[in-house]
Amino acid sequence: MNASKSPTRLIVPALVLLAVFAALPAVLASFDRGYFYQIANLSLIFVLLASSLHLVTGVAGLLHLGHAAFYGVGAYTAALLATKAGLGFTFTLPLSGLVAALIAFLVALPTMRLVSIYFAVATLAIGQMLYLVMLNWVDFTKGPNGIIVTKGLNLFGFDLSGRLGTYYTVAAVVTLCVIAIGRLSHSYYGNALRSIREDDQCADAMGVRTVRLKMEVFTLSAFFAGVAGSLWAHMTGYISPGDFKFSESILILAMIVVGGLGSLPGAIIGALLLILLPEGLRGMGDFRNIMVGVVMFLSILFLPKGLLGEVSALKLVRQQLNAAWRRTDNGIGIGWR
Amino acid sequence: MIDPYYLQQLAIGLSLGMTYALMAIGFTLIFGVLNVVNFAHGEVYTLGAFAGLVLITASAPPIFAAIFAALAIGAFAGFSLERLAFKPFRRFTDEASLKSRAMRESTLLSSLAVSIIVREGLEIVFGSQMRSVPFEYLINTPVRVGPVILVTGDFIIFAVSAVMLIGLQYLLRRTRVGLSIRAVSNNPLGAKYVGIDTDRTIIMTFVVGSMMGAAAGILVGLYYGAIFPAMGFVPGIKAFVAMVMGGLSSIPGAVICALILGIAESMATTFVSSGWSDMVAYGFLILTLIFFPSGLFGAGRERV
Repeated sequence: MNASKSPTRLIVPALVLLAVFAALPAVLASFDRGYFYQIANLSLIFVLLASSLHLVTGVAGLLHLGHAAFYGVGAYTAALLATKAGLGFTFTLPLSGLVAALIAFLVALPTMRLVSIYFAVATLAIGQMLYLVMLNWVDFTKGPNGIIVTKGLNLFGFDLSGRLGTYYTVAAVVTLCVIAIGRLSHSYYGNALRSIREDDQCADAMGVRTVRLKMEVFTLSAFFAGVAGSLWAHMTGYISPGDFKFSESILILAMIVVGGLGSLPGAIIGALLLILLPEGLRGMGDFRNIMVGVVMFLSILFLPKGLLGEVSALKLVRQQLNAAWRRTDNGIGIGWR
Repeated sequence: MIDPYYLQQLAIGLSLGMTYALMAIGFTLIFGVLNVVNFAHGEVYTLGAFAGLVLITASAPPIFAAIFAALAIGAFAGFSLERLAFKPFRRFTDEASLKSRAMRESTLLSSLAVSIIVREGLEIVFGSQMRSVPFEYLINTPVRVGPVILVTGDFIIFAVSAVMLIGLQYLLRRTRVGLSIRAVSNNPLGAKYVGIDTDRTIIMTFVVGSMMGAAAGILVGLYYGAIFPAMGFVPGIKAFVAMVMGGLSSIPGAVICALILGIAESMATTFVSSGWSDMVAYGFLILTLIFFPSGLFGAGRERV
């Protein structure tokens, strides 16, 4: 009897998918205000960003302080390809991911041997350098003025630039990416990454190729950040370097810390919380930015494992999505192949 | 014969480097005793500048009173920062948990969170725009030294920083507090065994380090005449770079690297626009991490 066939198993993912693709658009359509669509799209994009950082910082345990820069690289690639080369969303979406991944790979070559705080400092410097390029290379990136992207969302000739079309496109891309990240972080591959987090010297001695794995995961996460960037560029139609500065990297980091390091559902919850909470607190005016800091501080102090810690997240994933979950002979689940 | 222009840039770079050095010492002292990075150090710098500004606009005191106000606020900020963001995470005092990654990362994130709260709080109180310093307090009266024209600020920054650096050396080498700071940074557990109150020593370290940072903040604020809530971020990173280049726990190394950084930056503005000059610091950082991972002046460490 295959456990995955039983209908109760897939309740949580089914509910989440139903909420994202049916309930939420219905609610948005009933309000019919562009602002709510913007917020929904923004939260989805940050869900993707938090999930991609989850791969590096949560699963592999490498403190990455420059993630927003790769998001920016993706957004600028999409915007420049759309305005200068006239390419549509069909091409800019994968290309911006690939360009972000390529740049991440190039900067990873010399820096991935570093560990702990040195790694964090190196990623901070890389992020700041990319940000300075976006800000100061005025001839190419138009500097602080930003770029206006006139091309809306258009996939394989279908025009999707309406409110609902944009929402569905963003939601579909983000869902696919999050599923990919989920499969990756709960696989044997993810277990290897976790071994680096727990003790990289020990993992090295056991035959895990730590440096290569670190490079791969850094590049992969930059790829997903780049995809998020191209979604952002086409969704808002205007990007400027201010969207990709250090404080954005910290915001993404805060999301996965609040949600629980190493837990993908936690990263998603954290992203939703830190985007929707400030919006909900709009009445408090200027205090909403302080709230981000306060929420982050309190969650580190009182919930060191986050809202949904890694152990409970793994349990949830194992219960709900264990279709291809491999077990050892004595019944201990060890992950997807 | 060297072009006087370069001499002038050299002098400006030296005084810039001195302020980085003051900041870098705060980082280095705190890294020495706790092995953690204090990301809220840039905010201490901002707080120092604002403390001076508030005093100046309120009562028009002599300039040294403003610096003392900054020092007092810096000391207070250091104390509360340690209580708020670092003490709660030192629940256990055994060697393993003092050196553990969990403790290092949670204090890193908590100091980041505190820095967000302080910066946004300052923005609410003072607004995010630049506040200009009253004209008569600006330390930019031109002074002619041989072929070079400098401003009084260059001398004041240099003199105050030099006095503070010498004072720090005196504190560390000749007083009991300094002895205990050095002992804790050498071996926290050993220091505890011989009867040093490590908790108090850590607070003292934060107080001393933050006073230096706050002094740098008010000096730079008066030199450029612009004080704003986000001003601490870039100097914080520069000081951090200086600390890493100097080998993390070496104070002379951090000071020398801060001076190198300051001079390199002011020289770089000759060739590229000032927006790109920040690139110098990050470039230095990456190069140091790749080629001299233990710093230019640091002792050998096991792993980087």
